[in-house]
Amino acid sequence: MKTESTLSSLPRVNAKYSMFNDFLKDGVDDGSKFLFSAKDNLTSKDFETCSGSRILEGYHPVFNATAISKMISAGGKLIGKTNMDEFGFGTFSTNSGFGIPKNPFDLERSCGGSSGGSACAAAVLEDHVSLGVSTGGSICCPASFCGVYGIVPTYGRVSRYGLIDYGNSLDKIGLLSSKASDLAKYLPVIAGKDAMDPTSCVQPELKIEKRRIDNIAIPKEAIEGLSKDVAQTFNNAIETLQGMGIETKMIDMPALKYAMPAYYVLATSEASTNLARYVGMRYGHQDGDLSMKFDEYFTSFRSKYFGDEAKRRILLGTYTRMAGFRDRYYAKALKVRMYVIDAYKQILKDNDAILAPTMPFVAPRFDEISKMTPVESYKADYLTVPANLAGTPHMSVPCGYDPNGMPIGMQFVTDHWHEDLLLTMAEQWDKSFEMRKAEVSI
Amino acid sequence: MDREIVERVARAAHIALTEEEFNKYSKDLSEILDYFKLLDEAPDFDGSGVNPVEVADVLREDESSIRINPDELLKDMNTYENYVRGPRLS
Repeated sequence: MKTESTLSSLPRVNAKYSMFNDFLKDGVDDGSKFLFSAKDNLTSKDFETCSGSRILEGYHPVFNATAISKMISAGGKLIGKTNMDEFGFGTFSTNSGFGIPKNPFDLERSCGGSSGGSACAAAVLEDHVSLGVSTGGSICCPASFCGVYGIVPTYGRVSRYGLIDYGNSLDKIGLLSSKASDLAKYLPVIAGKDAMDPTSCVQPELKIEKRRIDNIAIPKEAIEGLSKDVAQTFNNAIETLQGMGIETKMIDMPALKYAMPAYYVLATSEASTNLARYVGMRYGHQDGDLSMKFDEYFTSFRSKYFGDEAKRRILLGTYTRMAGFRDRYYAKALKVRMYVIDAYKQILKDNDAILAPTMPFVAPRFDEISKMTPVESYKADYLTVPANLAGTPHMSVPCGYDPNGMPIGMQFVTDHWHEDLLLTMAEQWDKSFEMRKAEVSI
Repeated sequence: MDREIVERVARAAHIALTEEEFNKYSKDLSEILDYFKLLDEAPDFDGSGVNPVEVADVLREDESSIRINPDELLKDMNTYENYVRGPRLS
Protein backbone atom coordinates (compact mmCIF):
# COMPACT_ATOMS: atom_id res chain seq x y z
CA MET A 1 0.00 0.00 0.00
CA LYS A 2 2.81 2.35 0.90
CA THR A 3 4.56 1.49 -2.36
CA GLU A 4 1.38 2.15 -4.29
CA SER A 5 0.86 5.56 -2.71
CA THR A 6 4.49 6.57 -3.26
CA LEU A 7 4.30 5.57 -6.92
CA SER A 8 1.03 7.38 -7.51
CA SER A 9 2.32 10.53 -5.82
CA LEU A 10 5.45 10.87 -7.97
CA PRO A 11 4.05 13.26 -10.62
CA ARG A 12 2.73 15.65 -7.94
CA VAL A 13 5.83 15.40 -5.78
CA ASN A 14 8.12 16.01 -8.74
CA ALA A 15 6.04 18.98 -9.90
CA LYS A 16 6.70 20.57 -6.53
CA TYR A 17 10.35 19.66 -5.93
CA SER A 18 11.84 18.89 -9.41
CA MET A 19 13.95 16.10 -7.94
CA PHE A 20 13.71 13.83 -11.00
CA ASN A 21 14.89 14.17 -14.54
CA ASP A 22 12.86 11.12 -15.59
CA PHE A 23 10.61 8.96 -13.41
CA LEU A 24 7.93 6.25 -13.50
CA LYS A 25 4.75 8.02 -14.63
CA ASP A 26 2.35 5.12 -14.06
CA GLY A 27 4.24 2.62 -11.94
CA VAL A 28 2.35 -0.13 -10.17
CA ASP A 29 3.27 -2.12 -7.09
CA ASP A 30 4.70 -5.32 -8.53
CA GLY A 31 5.78 -6.77 -5.23
CA SER A 32 9.30 -5.33 -5.24
CA LYS A 33 11.02 -5.32 -1.84
CA PHE A 34 11.93 -1.63 -1.93
CA LEU A 35 11.88 1.45 -4.12
CA PHE A 36 15.02 3.37 -5.03
CA SER A 37 16.13 6.18 -7.26
CA ALA A 38 19.50 6.84 -8.89
CA LYS A 39 21.40 9.95 -9.83
CA ASP A 40 21.05 10.68 -13.52
CA ASN A 41 24.73 10.06 -14.30
CA LEU A 42 24.18 6.31 -13.77
CA THR A 43 23.07 4.57 -16.94
CA SER A 44 19.65 2.93 -16.88
CA LYS A 45 17.87 0.87 -19.52
CA ASP A 46 14.40 2.05 -18.58
CA PHE A 47 14.99 5.78 -18.28
CA GLU A 48 16.55 8.50 -20.36
CA THR A 49 20.02 9.30 -18.94
CA CYS A 50 21.34 12.84 -19.34
CA SER A 51 23.74 13.47 -16.45
CA GLY A 52 22.07 16.88 -16.10
CA SER A 53 23.31 17.92 -19.54
CA ARG A 54 21.34 19.06 -22.59
CA ILE A 55 24.04 17.54 -24.79
CA LEU A 56 22.83 14.06 -23.74
CA GLU A 57 19.11 14.79 -24.19
CA GLY A 58 17.41 11.77 -25.73
CA TYR A 59 20.14 9.30 -24.70
CA HIS A 60 18.68 5.88 -23.86
CA PRO A 61 21.46 3.58 -22.60
CA VAL A 62 21.24 -0.09 -23.50
CA PHE A 63 22.52 -1.27 -20.13
CA ASN A 64 22.14 -0.60 -16.42
CA ALA A 65 25.08 0.63 -14.36
CA THR A 66 26.42 -2.12 -12.08
CA ALA A 67 25.16 -0.34 -8.94
CA ILE A 68 21.63 -0.15 -10.40
CA SER A 69 21.72 -3.80 -11.54
CA LYS A 70 22.77 -4.87 -8.05
CA MET A 71 19.95 -2.92 -6.39
CA ILE A 72 17.44 -4.48 -8.81
CA SER A 73 18.87 -7.97 -8.17
CA ALA A 74 18.38 -7.37 -4.45
CA GLY A 75 14.66 -6.82 -5.08
CA GLY A 76 14.62 -3.08 -5.68
CA LYS A 77 12.52 -1.13 -8.15
CA LEU A 78 14.13 1.88 -9.82
CA ILE A 79 11.51 4.64 -9.82
CA GLY A 80 13.43 7.53 -11.32
CA LYS A 81 16.63 9.31 -12.22
CA THR A 82 17.45 12.22 -9.99
CA ASN A 83 18.24 15.77 -11.03
CA MET A 84 21.81 16.99 -10.69
CA ASP A 85 24.31 19.64 -11.68
CA GLU A 86 25.46 19.07 -15.27
CA PHE A 87 27.98 16.16 -15.14
CA GLY A 88 28.27 16.82 -11.38
CA PHE A 89 29.69 20.32 -11.83
CA GLY A 90 28.27 22.22 -8.88
CA THR A 91 27.52 22.58 -5.19
CA PHE A 92 23.86 23.65 -5.39
CA SER A 93 22.25 21.65 -8.25
CA THR A 94 21.58 24.99 -9.95
CA ASN A 95 23.73 23.98 -12.95
CA SER A 96 21.26 21.41 -14.29
CA GLY A 97 19.95 21.59 -17.84
CA PHE A 98 16.57 20.34 -16.58
CA GLY A 99 15.28 22.61 -13.82
CA ILE A 100 16.49 23.00 -10.25
CA PRO A 101 15.54 20.68 -7.37
CA LYS A 102 14.05 22.52 -4.37
CA ASN A 103 14.96 22.02 -0.74
CA PRO A 104 12.10 20.22 1.05
CA PHE A 105 12.62 22.39 4.17
CA ASP A 106 12.34 25.67 2.21
CA LEU A 107 11.48 25.80 -1.47
CA GLU A 108 13.45 29.04 -1.89
CA ARG A 109 16.65 27.23 -0.99
CA SER A 110 19.02 24.78 -2.66
CA CYS A 111 19.10 21.02 -2.05
CA GLY A 112 22.87 21.17 -2.38
CA GLY A 113 24.74 19.42 -5.11
CA SER A 114 25.53 17.80 -7.17
CA SER A 115 23.34 14.84 -6.04
CA GLY A 116 20.62 17.36 -5.08
CA GLY A 117 17.71 15.39 -6.53
CA SER A 118 18.82 12.25 -4.66
CA ALA A 119 18.95 14.08 -1.31
CA CYS A 120 15.55 15.63 -2.00
CA ALA A 121 14.02 12.23 -2.88
CA ALA A 122 15.56 10.71 0.28
CA ALA A 123 14.08 13.50 2.41
CA VAL A 124 10.62 13.61 0.81
CA LEU A 125 9.69 10.05 -0.19
CA GLU A 126 8.82 7.52 2.44
CA ASP A 127 11.20 4.58 2.98
CA HIS A 128 13.40 5.68 0.13
CA VAL A 129 17.05 5.11 -0.64
CA SER A 130 18.83 6.88 -3.47
CA LEU A 131 22.09 6.16 -5.27
CA GLY A 132 24.25 9.27 -5.38
CA VAL A 133 27.69 9.98 -6.78
CA SER A 134 30.42 12.04 -5.16
CA THR A 135 33.46 13.49 -6.86
CA GLY A 136 34.25 16.39 -4.51
CA GLY A 137 31.37 16.48 -2.02
CA SER A 138 28.31 15.71 -4.11
CA ILE A 139 26.73 13.29 -1.64
CA CYS A 140 27.57 14.81 1.75
CA CYS A 141 26.74 18.41 0.77
CA PRO A 142 23.15 17.67 -0.32
CA ALA A 143 22.71 15.17 2.54
CA SER A 144 23.63 17.99 4.94
CA PHE A 145 21.37 20.59 3.27
CA CYS A 146 18.38 18.23 3.12
CA GLY A 147 18.84 16.71 6.60
CA VAL A 148 19.46 13.08 5.57
CA TYR A 149 22.27 10.53 5.92
CA GLY A 150 24.76 10.23 3.08
CA ILE A 151 27.68 7.83 2.76
CA VAL A 152 30.56 7.86 0.29
CA PRO A 153 32.58 4.62 0.40
CA THR A 154 36.28 4.27 -0.35
CA TYR A 155 37.30 5.01 -3.94
CA GLY A 156 36.96 1.67 -5.77
CA ARG A 157 34.52 0.09 -3.29
CA VAL A 158 31.57 0.34 -5.69
CA SER A 159 32.03 -0.40 -9.38
CA ARG A 160 31.85 2.66 -11.62
CA TYR A 161 30.71 0.62 -14.62
CA GLY A 162 27.85 2.58 -16.16
CA LEU A 163 28.75 5.80 -14.36
CA ILE A 164 29.11 8.74 -16.72
CA ASP A 165 32.57 9.95 -15.78
CA TYR A 166 33.35 13.33 -14.29
CA GLY A 167 36.80 12.65 -12.78
CA ASN A 168 37.78 8.98 -13.00
CA SER A 169 40.23 9.10 -10.09
CA LEU A 170 37.68 10.84 -7.86
CA ASP A 171 34.19 9.50 -8.71
CA LYS A 172 32.53 7.32 -6.06
CA ILE A 173 29.00 5.90 -5.91
CA GLY A 174 27.26 6.02 -2.53
CA LEU A 175 23.89 6.21 -0.79
CA LEU A 176 21.48 8.77 0.63
CA SER A 177 18.57 7.98 2.94
CA SER A 178 16.62 9.46 5.83
CA LYS A 179 17.07 6.12 7.62
CA ALA A 180 20.48 5.52 9.18
CA SER A 181 19.99 1.75 8.99
CA ASP A 182 19.64 1.92 5.19
CA LEU A 183 23.35 2.65 4.83
CA ALA A 184 24.35 -0.68 6.40
CA LYS A 185 21.53 -2.41 4.56
CA TYR A 186 22.38 -1.25 1.03
CA LEU A 187 26.14 -0.56 1.00
CA PRO A 188 26.91 -4.32 0.97
CA VAL A 189 24.44 -4.64 -1.92
CA ILE A 190 26.27 -2.21 -4.23
CA ALA A 191 29.86 -2.88 -3.04
CA GLY A 192 32.17 -5.52 -4.47
CA LYS A 193 34.56 -6.41 -7.24
CA ASP A 194 33.40 -6.03 -10.82
CA ALA A 195 35.57 -7.07 -13.74
CA MET A 196 34.02 -4.21 -15.74
CA ASP A 197 35.77 -1.68 -13.46
CA PRO A 198 39.37 -2.70 -12.64
CA THR A 199 39.62 -0.05 -9.90
CA SER A 200 37.02 -2.06 -7.95
CA CYS A 201 39.10 -5.25 -8.10
CA VAL A 202 41.67 -4.58 -5.36
CA GLN A 203 39.23 -4.00 -2.54
CA PRO A 204 39.27 -6.06 0.63
CA GLU A 205 35.90 -7.54 1.55
CA LEU A 206 33.41 -5.15 3.17
CA LYS A 207 32.99 -6.73 6.59
CA ILE A 208 30.15 -5.52 8.77
CA GLU A 209 31.56 -6.25 12.21
CA LYS A 210 29.86 -3.43 14.14
CA ARG A 211 33.22 -1.91 15.04
CA ARG A 212 32.74 1.36 16.91
CA ILE A 213 34.44 4.71 16.68
CA ASP A 214 36.00 5.30 20.11
CA ASN A 215 38.01 8.43 19.46
CA ILE A 216 37.68 11.32 17.07
CA ALA A 217 40.08 14.02 15.89
CA ILE A 218 38.71 17.44 14.92
CA PRO A 219 41.01 19.55 12.71
CA LYS A 220 41.29 23.18 13.85
CA GLU A 221 41.49 24.20 10.19
CA ALA A 222 38.05 22.70 9.55
CA ILE A 223 36.20 24.81 12.08
CA GLU A 224 37.33 28.15 10.72
CA GLY A 225 34.91 30.17 8.62
CA LEU A 226 31.73 28.49 9.87
CA SER A 227 28.45 30.33 10.20
CA LYS A 228 27.39 31.00 13.81
CA ASP A 229 24.57 28.45 13.69
CA VAL A 230 26.75 25.71 12.20
CA ALA A 231 29.51 26.35 14.79
CA GLN A 232 27.01 26.25 17.68
CA THR A 233 25.23 23.13 16.44
CA PHE A 234 28.54 21.37 15.81
CA ASN A 235 29.72 22.14 19.36
CA ASN A 236 26.51 20.70 20.75
CA ALA A 237 27.00 17.57 18.62
CA ILE A 238 30.52 17.12 20.01
CA GLU A 239 29.07 17.19 23.53
CA THR A 240 26.53 14.55 22.53
CA LEU A 241 29.32 12.36 21.14
CA GLN A 242 31.28 12.79 24.36
CA GLY A 243 28.15 11.80 26.26
CA MET A 244 28.11 8.61 24.18
CA GLY A 245 31.56 7.79 25.60
CA ILE A 246 33.52 8.91 22.55
CA GLU A 247 36.80 10.73 23.11
CA THR A 248 37.31 13.90 21.07
CA LYS A 249 40.37 16.06 20.59
CA MET A 250 41.44 19.04 18.50
CA ILE A 251 44.33 18.53 16.09
CA ASP A 252 46.29 20.46 13.45
CA MET A 253 45.89 19.30 9.86
CA PRO A 254 47.74 21.87 7.73
CA ALA A 255 47.48 19.69 4.60
CA LEU A 256 43.75 20.48 4.38
CA LYS A 257 44.27 23.93 2.87
CA TYR A 258 46.00 22.50 -0.22
CA ALA A 259 43.24 19.98 -0.93
CA MET A 260 40.89 22.45 -2.63
CA PRO A 261 43.17 23.72 -5.41
CA ALA A 262 44.60 20.21 -5.95
CA TYR A 263 41.10 18.82 -6.24
CA TYR A 264 39.88 21.41 -8.73
CA VAL A 265 42.98 20.93 -10.90
CA LEU A 266 42.58 17.14 -11.01
CA ALA A 267 38.79 17.17 -11.33
CA THR A 268 38.72 19.68 -14.19
CA SER A 269 41.69 18.06 -15.96
CA GLU A 270 39.96 14.70 -15.92
CA ALA A 271 36.58 16.22 -16.81
CA SER A 272 37.97 18.06 -19.82
CA THR A 273 39.24 14.79 -21.30
CA ASN A 274 36.12 12.81 -20.37
CA LEU A 275 33.83 15.36 -21.97
CA ALA A 276 35.78 15.24 -25.24
CA ARG A 277 33.48 12.36 -26.27
CA TYR A 278 30.41 14.62 -26.55
CA VAL A 279 30.56 15.84 -30.12
CA GLY A 280 27.10 15.25 -31.58
CA MET A 281 27.76 11.65 -32.58
CA ARG A 282 26.74 8.42 -30.83
CA TYR A 283 24.90 9.96 -27.83
CA GLY A 284 22.17 12.54 -27.31
CA HIS A 285 21.69 15.31 -29.86
CA GLN A 286 22.93 14.30 -33.33
CA ASP A 287 21.01 16.65 -35.58
CA GLY A 288 23.86 18.71 -37.03
CA ASP A 289 24.76 19.47 -40.64
CA LEU A 290 27.03 16.61 -41.71
CA SER A 291 28.45 18.63 -44.59
CA MET A 292 30.37 20.70 -42.02
CA LYS A 293 34.04 20.00 -41.40
CA PHE A 294 34.52 17.82 -38.31
CA ASP A 295 36.12 20.56 -36.20
CA GLU A 296 33.24 22.93 -36.91
CA TYR A 297 30.66 20.18 -36.41
CA PHE A 298 32.02 19.12 -33.01
CA THR A 299 32.47 22.72 -31.88
CA SER A 300 28.93 23.66 -32.86
CA PHE A 301 27.38 20.95 -30.66
CA ARG A 302 29.60 21.58 -27.68
CA SER A 303 29.09 25.34 -27.81
CA LYS A 304 25.33 25.01 -28.15
CA TYR A 305 24.54 22.31 -25.59
CA PHE A 306 27.13 22.53 -22.79
CA GLY A 307 26.03 24.79 -19.94
CA ASP A 308 27.98 27.66 -18.44
CA GLU A 309 29.79 25.75 -15.68
CA ALA A 310 30.62 22.83 -17.98
CA LYS A 311 32.31 25.24 -20.40
CA ARG A 312 34.19 26.91 -17.54
CA ARG A 313 35.51 23.59 -16.20
CA ILE A 314 36.42 22.26 -19.65
CA LEU A 315 38.42 25.43 -20.36
CA LEU A 316 40.10 25.27 -16.96
CA GLY A 317 40.98 21.59 -17.26
CA THR A 318 42.27 22.03 -20.78
CA TYR A 319 44.50 24.87 -19.59
CA THR A 320 45.98 23.00 -16.60
CA ARG A 321 46.95 20.05 -18.83
CA MET A 322 48.52 22.15 -21.57
CA ALA A 323 52.23 21.97 -22.40
CA GLY A 324 53.94 24.65 -20.36
CA PHE A 325 51.38 24.61 -17.52
CA ARG A 326 51.05 20.89 -16.85
CA ASP A 327 53.88 20.55 -14.34
CA ARG A 328 52.82 23.55 -12.33
CA TYR A 329 49.21 22.43 -12.03
CA TYR A 330 48.40 18.82 -12.92
CA ALA A 331 51.67 17.17 -11.86
CA LYS A 332 51.82 19.23 -8.66
CA ALA A 333 48.19 18.41 -7.82
CA LEU A 334 48.97 14.67 -8.07
CA LYS A 335 51.76 15.11 -5.51
CA VAL A 336 49.53 17.18 -3.24
CA ARG A 337 46.92 14.43 -3.29
CA MET A 338 49.53 11.99 -1.96
CA TYR A 339 50.49 14.55 0.69
CA VAL A 340 46.85 14.89 1.79
CA ILE A 341 46.40 11.08 1.85
CA ASP A 342 49.54 10.80 3.98
CA ALA A 343 48.16 13.42 6.39
CA TYR A 344 44.94 11.40 6.76
CA LYS A 345 46.89 8.17 7.32
CA GLN A 346 49.06 9.74 10.02
CA ILE A 347 46.05 11.07 11.95
CA LEU A 348 44.00 7.91 11.50
CA LYS A 349 46.81 5.78 12.99
CA ASP A 350 45.87 7.11 16.43
CA ASN A 351 42.25 8.11 15.84
CA ASP A 352 39.32 6.11 14.51
CA ALA A 353 37.78 9.04 12.65
CA ILE A 354 38.15 12.69 11.74
CA LEU A 355 35.13 14.92 12.27
CA ALA A 356 34.05 18.36 11.02
CA PRO A 357 30.83 20.04 9.98
CA THR A 358 29.82 18.93 6.47
CA MET A 359 29.14 22.41 5.09
CA PRO A 360 30.13 25.79 6.55
CA PHE A 361 26.54 27.12 6.26
CA VAL A 362 22.96 25.91 5.86
CA ALA A 363 21.38 25.58 2.41
CA PRO A 364 21.59 29.04 0.82
CA ARG A 365 18.68 30.76 -0.95
CA PHE A 366 18.73 30.79 -4.75
CA ASP A 367 19.09 34.60 -4.81
CA GLU A 368 22.24 34.26 -2.65
CA ILE A 369 23.67 31.57 -4.92
CA SER A 370 23.18 33.69 -8.04
CA LYS A 371 25.45 36.36 -6.56
CA MET A 372 28.36 33.99 -5.85
CA THR A 373 31.48 34.07 -8.05
CA PRO A 374 32.88 30.72 -9.27
CA VAL A 375 35.72 30.87 -6.70
CA GLU A 376 33.26 31.61 -3.86
CA SER A 377 31.14 28.69 -4.95
CA TYR A 378 34.16 26.33 -5.19
CA LYS A 379 35.34 27.42 -1.74
CA ALA A 380 32.00 26.35 -0.22
CA ASP A 381 33.28 22.76 -0.68
CA TYR A 382 36.35 23.17 1.54
CA LEU A 383 35.09 20.72 4.16
CA THR A 384 33.93 17.99 1.78
CA VAL A 385 36.72 18.11 -0.83
CA PRO A 386 39.68 16.75 1.21
CA ALA A 387 38.23 13.30 1.93
CA ASN A 388 37.04 13.05 -1.66
CA LEU A 389 40.49 13.92 -2.97
CA ALA A 390 42.00 11.28 -0.68
CA GLY A 391 39.42 8.63 -1.63
CA THR A 392 38.75 7.98 2.07
CA PRO A 393 35.24 6.88 3.09
CA HIS A 394 33.09 9.54 4.71
CA MET A 395 29.54 10.10 5.87
CA SER A 396 27.33 13.08 6.62
CA VAL A 397 24.79 12.71 9.42
CA PRO A 398 22.17 15.29 10.37
CA CYS A 399 23.18 16.90 13.68
CA GLY A 400 20.83 19.86 14.22
CA TYR A 401 18.74 22.70 12.79
CA ASP A 402 19.21 26.46 12.61
CA PRO A 403 16.54 28.86 14.00
CA ASN A 404 14.73 28.72 10.61
CA GLY A 405 14.57 24.96 10.83
CA MET A 406 17.21 24.36 8.14
CA PRO A 407 19.20 21.13 8.65
CA ILE A 408 22.90 21.07 9.58
CA GLY A 409 25.16 18.05 9.05
CA MET A 410 28.50 16.78 10.29
CA GLN A 411 30.93 14.57 8.44
CA PHE A 412 32.97 11.62 9.72
CA VAL A 413 36.01 10.40 7.76
CA THR A 414 37.74 7.05 8.33
CA ASP A 415 40.73 5.34 6.74
CA HIS A 416 40.50 3.60 3.35
CA TRP A 417 38.22 0.52 3.43
CA HIS A 418 36.96 1.22 7.00
CA GLU A 419 33.31 1.89 6.11
CA ASP A 420 32.21 -0.44 8.90
CA LEU A 421 33.08 2.21 11.50
CA LEU A 422 30.84 4.73 9.72
CA LEU A 423 27.93 2.33 9.46
CA THR A 424 28.04 1.61 13.19
CA MET A 425 28.29 5.32 13.96
CA ALA A 426 25.21 6.05 11.82
CA GLU A 427 23.12 3.62 13.85
CA GLN A 428 24.52 4.83 17.19
CA TRP A 429 23.97 8.49 16.28
CA ASP A 430 20.45 7.81 15.07
CA LYS A 431 19.51 6.62 18.57
CA SER A 432 20.59 9.88 20.21
CA PHE A 433 19.43 12.36 17.59
CA GLU A 434 15.91 13.60 17.08
CA MET A 435 15.55 13.84 13.33
CA ARG A 436 12.97 16.15 11.79
CA LYS A 437 11.16 15.29 8.60
CA ALA A 438 10.42 18.05 6.12
CA GLU A 439 6.74 18.93 6.00
CA VAL A 440 5.58 17.63 2.67
CA SER A 441 2.23 18.85 1.41
CA ILE A 442 1.25 18.14 -2.16
CA MET B 1 44.88 36.10 -18.78
CA ASP B 2 46.20 36.75 -22.30
CA ARG B 3 43.56 36.75 -24.97
CA GLU B 4 45.79 34.55 -27.10
CA ILE B 5 45.96 31.84 -24.41
CA VAL B 6 42.20 31.78 -23.83
CA GLU B 7 41.68 31.49 -27.60
CA ARG B 8 44.15 28.62 -27.75
CA VAL B 9 42.44 26.82 -24.85
CA ALA B 10 38.96 27.27 -26.36
CA ARG B 11 40.16 25.98 -29.73
CA ALA B 12 41.76 22.91 -28.12
CA ALA B 13 38.55 22.28 -26.15
CA HIS B 14 36.35 22.65 -29.26
CA ILE B 15 34.26 25.40 -27.72
CA ALA B 16 33.37 28.55 -29.64
CA LEU B 17 33.00 31.55 -27.34
CA THR B 18 30.90 34.65 -27.93
CA GLU B 19 32.60 37.94 -27.08
CA GLU B 20 30.59 38.11 -23.85
CA GLU B 21 31.58 34.54 -22.86
CA PHE B 22 35.16 35.28 -23.78
CA ASN B 23 35.31 38.21 -21.36
CA LYS B 24 33.48 36.33 -18.62
CA TYR B 25 35.62 33.17 -18.77
CA SER B 26 38.88 35.15 -19.08
CA LYS B 27 38.04 36.92 -15.84
CA ASP B 28 36.82 33.75 -14.08
CA LEU B 29 39.84 31.71 -15.15
CA SER B 30 42.23 34.43 -13.93
CA GLU B 31 40.52 34.46 -10.53
CA ILE B 32 40.51 30.67 -10.28
CA LEU B 33 44.18 30.37 -11.32
CA ASP B 34 45.05 33.05 -8.78
CA TYR B 35 43.50 30.82 -6.15
CA PHE B 36 45.44 27.80 -7.48
CA LYS B 37 48.71 29.64 -6.68
CA LEU B 38 48.30 28.12 -3.23
CA LEU B 39 49.61 24.90 -4.79
CA ASP B 40 53.02 26.52 -5.27
CA GLU B 41 53.33 26.74 -1.47
CA ALA B 42 52.45 23.08 -0.87
CA PRO B 43 55.35 20.89 0.27
CA ASP B 44 57.00 18.94 -2.53
CA PHE B 45 55.80 15.56 -1.31
CA ASP B 46 57.76 12.60 -2.51
CA GLY B 47 55.40 10.40 -4.46
CA SER B 48 52.64 10.73 -6.95
CA GLY B 49 50.18 8.42 -8.65
CA VAL B 50 46.99 8.85 -10.57
CA ASN B 51 44.72 6.97 -8.15
CA PRO B 52 44.01 7.57 -4.46
CA VAL B 53 44.26 3.84 -3.66
CA GLU B 54 46.55 1.25 -5.13
CA VAL B 55 45.11 -0.22 -8.29
CA ALA B 56 46.37 -3.63 -9.38
CA ASP B 57 46.74 -4.65 -12.98
CA VAL B 58 44.04 -7.08 -13.90
CA LEU B 59 45.49 -8.20 -17.19
CA ARG B 60 44.14 -11.34 -18.81
CA GLU B 61 44.26 -13.03 -22.18
CA ASP B 62 42.03 -11.46 -24.79
CA GLU B 63 38.83 -13.34 -25.44
CA SER B 64 36.31 -12.44 -28.06
CA SER B 65 32.80 -11.84 -26.80
CA ILE B 66 29.81 -9.66 -27.49
CA ARG B 67 28.50 -8.18 -24.28
CA ILE B 68 26.15 -5.70 -25.86
CA ASN B 69 24.53 -6.36 -29.20
CA PRO B 70 25.92 -3.77 -31.67
CA ASP B 71 22.48 -3.49 -33.29
CA GLU B 72 21.12 -2.24 -29.97
CA LEU B 73 23.84 0.39 -29.76
CA LEU B 74 23.21 1.55 -33.32
CA LYS B 75 19.52 2.20 -32.62
CA ASP B 76 20.33 5.47 -30.85
CA MET B 77 22.87 6.60 -33.43
CA ASN B 78 22.65 8.42 -36.70
CA THR B 79 23.62 5.63 -39.13
CA TYR B 80 23.89 4.84 -42.82
CA GLU B 81 24.07 1.15 -43.81
CA ASN B 82 25.11 0.30 -40.24
CA TYR B 83 27.93 2.84 -40.18
CA VAL B 84 27.84 5.72 -37.73
CA ARG B 85 27.54 8.94 -39.67
CA GLY B 86 29.90 11.78 -38.92
CA PRO B 87 31.04 15.05 -40.44
CA ARG B 88 33.63 15.45 -43.20
CA LEU B 89 37.24 14.87 -42.25
CA SER B 90 38.56 17.72 -44.37
